[in-house]
Amino acid sequence: MYVCKSADKRLESYIAGKEVETSFNRVDHQKIKCGFGQQGVCCRLCANGPCRITPKSPKGVCGATADTIVARNFLRAVASGAACYLHVVENTARNLKAVGERKGKIKGEKVLHDLALLFGIDSEDVYEKAIKVAEKVLQDLYKARSEKMELVEKMAYKPRLEKWKALNILPGGAKSEVFDAIVKTSTNLSSDPVDMLLHSLNLGISTGLYGLTLTNLLNDVMLGEPVIRKASVGLKVIDENYINIMITGHQHSVIAHLQDRLTDEDMKKTAEEAGGKGFRLVGCTCVGQDLQLRGEHYQEVFSGHAGNNFTSETVISTGAIDLIVSEFNCTLPGIEPIANEFMVDMICLDDVAKKSNAEHIPFTMDRDEEISEYIIEKALNSYKNRRSKVVLDIPKDHGHDDVITGVSEKSLKEFLGNTWKPLLDLIAEGKIKGVAAVVGCSNLTALGHDVFTVELTKELIKRDIIVLSAGCSSGGLENVGLMSPKAAAFAGDNLRVVCEALGIPPVLNFGPCLAIGRLEIVATELAEALNIDIPQLPLVLSAPQWLEEQALADGAFGLALGLPLHLAIPPFITGSKLVTEVLTEKLPELTGGRLILEDEPAKAAEVLEEIILDRRKGLGLI
Amino acid sequence: MMGKEKADKGDDIMRRIMIQRDLCMGCLNCGLACMAEHNEKGKSIYDLDLEDLKNESRNHIGLDKERRPVPIFCRHCDEPECVYTCMSGAMTKDNETGKVAYDENKCASCFMCVMACSYGVLKPDDVGKKVVVKCDMCMDREMPRCVENCPTGCLYIEGGNQA
Repeated sequence: MYVCKSADKRLESYIAGKEVETSFNRVDHQKIKCGFGQQGVCCRLCANGPCRITPKSPKGVCGATADTIVARNFLRAVASGAACYLHVVENTARNLKAVGERKGKIKGEKVLHDLALLFGIDSEDVYEKAIKVAEKVLQDLYKARSEKMELVEKMAYKPRLEKWKALNILPGGAKSEVFDAIVKTSTNLSSDPVDMLLHSLNLGISTGLYGLTLTNLLNDVMLGEPVIRKASVGLKVIDENYINIMITGHQHSVIAHLQDRLTDEDMKKTAEEAGGKGFRLVGCTCVGQDLQLRGEHYQEVFSGHAGNNFTSETVISTGAIDLIVSEFNCTLPGIEPIANEFMVDMICLDDVAKKSNAEHIPFTMDRDEEISEYIIEKALNSYKNRRSKVVLDIPKDHGHDDVITGVSEKSLKEFLGNTWKPLLDLIAEGKIKGVAAVVGCSNLTALGHDVFTVELTKELIKRDIIVLSAGCSSGGLENVGLMSPKAAAFAGDNLRVVCEALGIPPVLNFGPCLAIGRLEIVATELAEALNIDIPQLPLVLSAPQWLEEQALADGAFGLALGLPLHLAIPPFITGSKLVTEVLTEKLPELTGGRLILEDEPAKAAEVLEEIILDRRKGLGLI
Repeated sequence: MMGKEKADKGDDIMRRIMIQRDLCMGCLNCGLACMAEHNEKGKSIYDLDLEDLKNESRNHIGLDKERRPVPIFCRHCDEPECVYTCMSGAMTKDNETGKVAYDENKCASCFMCVMACSYGVLKPDDVGKKVVVKCDMCMDREMPRCVENCPTGCLYIEGGNQA
């Protein structure tokens, strides 16, 4: 069977030795791509279609040009991506509100206090504060499109806010903005590509500030703030002696009760009676990264992060997973037959991620205890039923034990002495040339699984550019060892010395894709410290192996923030000269951001380095 | 794929693109492949300007009277009418490879070949109306790009060494 290349050679050889069909095998059968799809010039909006743009047929039946078709497709994709993240923040805020109402566990009082202060909430009681903070978020999300969201003004960096006002892209109610983006891109409605691109930036802002940033912070309130620590990653974290529950998704608060319940003393006894040492949550996909990020708070129950989106199928094929609990993407349909083969029951807590063979148990905070008990019982029964019938095969040599995790905008600043000055000094001295955020998904098509991400990252650190990562990219980077202190050896001489002195890796692990929001807080705070706007920073963004619509919504935020954004695979836009020109050439004059399309890692690193050098020059640094 | 089995006829016959027409779904990927391969600006699909008439496919998909797609490709005929009618020597048949080649530098643009083509595949280029749009089997490429890019197996190679 064909096996897709991975930057993670041990993973690749493990998959090659298995008879289990995964995405790594299927990608070969899908290698012939539709060129119209790749260029974004296929329109399926009406029964006169599908129409495709060719030199001999430059317009659809309705008269839509390539520019219109591409812009419509792009805005639709961004709207879907924004909707996904807004769904996550909506649930997170609802969960926080419920926690406040029942006076439940608040583990991050400091964050809650900061948010209340920022939002202008005047209340002494911590629970009342939680309710009001959550309500503020929800009220904004539910506003009409004609009403601007209030928290944008409070959260956004002022120079950016002014820029967004000038461009008229300040979002109204986030859900309404998504709604009208869908209206706008329906049959024979908008044909104005520029308006649709501006709408994409508008959705980027609500994705970034609410979907990403606020989801992180509200989760920190409920689950505790990230603390920098050393952790194990890779398939080796799976311990067959425990009853293992694999979690997939993006909504950490949904398993807040479960992870606490599993640490109770009686749980250990229950597991022991069945023959296990206890219960363990095995991290996979972004919620696994989130579990890892806040891992300080429940070390005994979290086994570690096993791998990213396209590692999930393999995690199940180790045979040691007893139950899968999913609450969002990236829950691949490909896990279903594998779960069936390995007799792993699946429970879905949110119907947006309903898998065909999963049992749907709709999660609400008021039923969390009951749902946790149900999940535990399911896991227990599954463990008892399946372990004698399946073959266990855990590659204990896959992964690393010294990954530095728990890095956030706050923990990093704290590490530096509660100020960004040491980092800024290192940048000013040229010991660190600049900062690159290598983020987003993993895919199997940009040279292979994590191949582009890892090669680009190596190129960047070699050039003394420190890399921050969030998303499945970090799942890949940590599994190949680049997030361990020993990876300093791969860095350029200047960066290597810095890393060795501080005992840090040259690639910092911010966790899930949601934490792209944390990186953007870092960018904002660095700009603030220097009293400049974000596009002046020697800081670049790359989502080399972007996979999904959410990544495009994240990217739209990066562009709205004024960051250069590199992608290895074009986001289905090259069929329109206008859209391509606006995003790759005109955007610097609009937001300061810029889309960079480059499909070779070394060349991409070169382009990003040039931008950093150029920015340094602009700041008077050599 | 079906095409591959059929292609196992050995190398005693000329190398040729074959068509299993009931597998064609009219996706036009062959046309895109052809345009991309012959694009002066680069061979990546992303380099292909789909609004520039200069980019012309050397094959096309027609519809039969039941509106089913019909791939129309140069057959590199054994008895090539285009070669027989060419007065300037622009069209030549290579008896070794079986390929019917076209040299635009020798072409007088009389388009007798266009009129003579039994399959209606040859045509003058849209922009300049000076040269003939003609399949070159992707020159030295191991596999013609249209064949490589066909997702259904409708297009396949027969004869030659089938490389």
